[in-house]
Amino acid sequence: MSGILRTVDLKKYFKAGHNRLLHAVDGVSIEIEEGATLGVVGESGCGKSTLGRLVLGLLPATSGEIYYDGVNILDCGKDEMASCRRRMQIIFQDPYSSLNPRMSVYELISEPLVMNGACKGKKEQLARVIELMNTVGLAERFINSYPHEMDGGRRQRIGVARALALKPQFIVCDEPVSALDVSIQAQVLNLLMDMQEEMGLTYMFITHDLSVVKHISNEIVVMYLGQCVEKAQSKELFRDPKHPYTQALLSAIPQPVPGRFQRDKLLRGEVSDPINPEPGCRFAKRCSHSRPECSAMPITLKERGDGHFVACLLYD
Amino acid sequence: METQGVTGANEAVLEIRGLETVYRTDDGTVRAVNGIDFSITERETIGLVGETGAGKTTTALSILRLLPERTGRVMAGEILYKGQDLLKKSEEEMRLIRGACISMIFQDPMTALNPILTVGSQILESLEIHNVENKAHEELEARVDELLSLVGIQPGRKHEYPHQFSGGMKQRIVIAIALACEPLLLIADEPTTALDVTIQAQVLVLMDELRTKLGTSMIMITHDLGVVANTCDKVAIMYAGEIVEYGTVNDIFGHGAHHPYTTGLFLAIPNMKEDTRRLRPIDGLMPDPSSLPPGCKFHPRCPSRTEECGIARPYQYERGWHRISCNLFREGFDS
Repeated sequence: MSGILRTVDLKKYFKAGHNRLLHAVDGVSIEIEEGATLGVVGESGCGKSTLGRLVLGLLPATSGEIYYDGVNILDCGKDEMASCRRRMQIIFQDPYSSLNPRMSVYELISEPLVMNGACKGKKEQLARVIELMNTVGLAERFINSYPHEMDGGRRQRIGVARALALKPQFIVCDEPVSALDVSIQAQVLNLLMDMQEEMGLTYMFITHDLSVVKHISNEIVVMYLGQCVEKAQSKELFRDPKHPYTQALLSAIPQPVPGRFQRDKLLRGEVSDPINPEPGCRFAKRCSHSRPECSAMPITLKERGDGHFVACLLYD
Repeated sequence: METQGVTGANEAVLEIRGLETVYRTDDGTVRAVNGIDFSITERETIGLVGETGAGKTTTALSILRLLPERTGRVMAGEILYKGQDLLKKSEEEMRLIRGACISMIFQDPMTALNPILTVGSQILESLEIHNVENKAHEELEARVDELLSLVGIQPGRKHEYPHQFSGGMKQRIVIAIALACEPLLLIADEPTTALDVTIQAQVLVLMDELRTKLGTSMIMITHDLGVVANTCDKVAIMYAGEIVEYGTVNDIFGHGAHHPYTTGLFLAIPNMKEDTRRLRPIDGLMPDPSSLPPGCKFHPRCPSRTEECGIARPYQYERGWHRISCNLFREGFDS
């Protein structure tokens, strides 16, 4: 079994001054099958966006391996990297700040085509831009509009069109719908799923919203402070969340059913400091099941049947 | 006002009648709020729900008279706080009402606090402005400590600056400021949207506890139907500056009659319990508030529209608390 993208013990530490290291991504191993969607879930500061940028080579990794189509992109040459790059794209979170306000829709969507010399001549380029606009459901009349004239949903469609311009295989979607209203969010999610079916795209879908990820993912990775604490098939994870953090995340989502929160299930405290973290389980301080052993040794992901991986001593 | 007495035992803390607010810009008049009515009684929480541009925040700013001076203007309506029309108050009188009687929690705790003042002095500020009983400085300082422990922050941290606190902690401080003078009415504008889900749950529970303890009424502005279900007694669904459906939390979340927009909103949320792969978005976009469609504002996007929807104001359905503004329920409708 070999996926289109595979990471082995991937680490990214940022220098935080005074010889301190911020462990943004700390030993993450994931694998994504071609045509599948991997959901990466966690709260702010868990390292999910850093992971997304690492796998695209937008950030240099501290250590570990990243294989894209069998090539280790961390030690391949410039030319090889360039050809990999063309097949990997990213859709950013905020359609308000990720588009250059001085560029028209035509310029924005044609930029990747120009940069890579993908089209011969202006005519072909125009045709391709219009084709892309049709694909993502942007009316042709917007071709000379500027981002500020459009609403969030349409702007995000420009972002999607830019990502699709070079016919990539793999797209990192970094919170692509978080800045959008629910009715528009559903439109963009459906668009992403249609694109995937039509073009056989592979997605890494980064989000803090478990209900969104449930809809779009085949497999889900739950991250906490740079580490992967649980990994399972989407259905399995929602049916039987094993890690106490996953359970807490699920019960913290306000459900559209009248009633008050179940207070006993609420998490205490806040995410601790990712700078020079202590050994052991990083969630232990907030966990209601924590024992002294939890902080004594590093805790690794172990399979608990049927492709369900958990990093927790409760299941030993 | 005498009409207030007639309303009955449950006297309204705030009553809004026919409120219309516009923004005058170079590109035309933006009709942000178009004639809304609702009232809040003591200890009640009402949720204002809707998407961007529905007029939720404009409603809140109209109540507190905090609309941008040059552009925002209330064109019609009354905002009665304990029977007195806030729109007729002088700026001086309003200053005494804001913070002491009605206070507001803003969406983004990162920008709501002053970065160069300690959090203690920011809480103290509100207490000093509304210090009608001329309490000594020590008493006010003691109150700051009390407020901080109320929201779950060690009073010893009052000499620290906002950047030394996490997002959830900052929102707790904003809540402490809002509650400092024990207002009768609290307006919370998307208080947890900027927070992580586990922290959101903590903050919502804290707000609920404090509200019960202090007997505060609350307007909860949010786009999240889950938050509404967990915090509110009554709900107003807003669309393009109008309340299209209003009712108790059970009316809105129940299986009875609903405005097509409400139905659409519920269908668009990714459901955690069901296994449908495709989501069902509402077709089209929110109308441009500077050129709103005639008749029902939702009709261009509505799956059950008829010709008359585009002509006149829709029918007002009413059953107890439940109000729906839609022609679907015109005649012979009984669920």
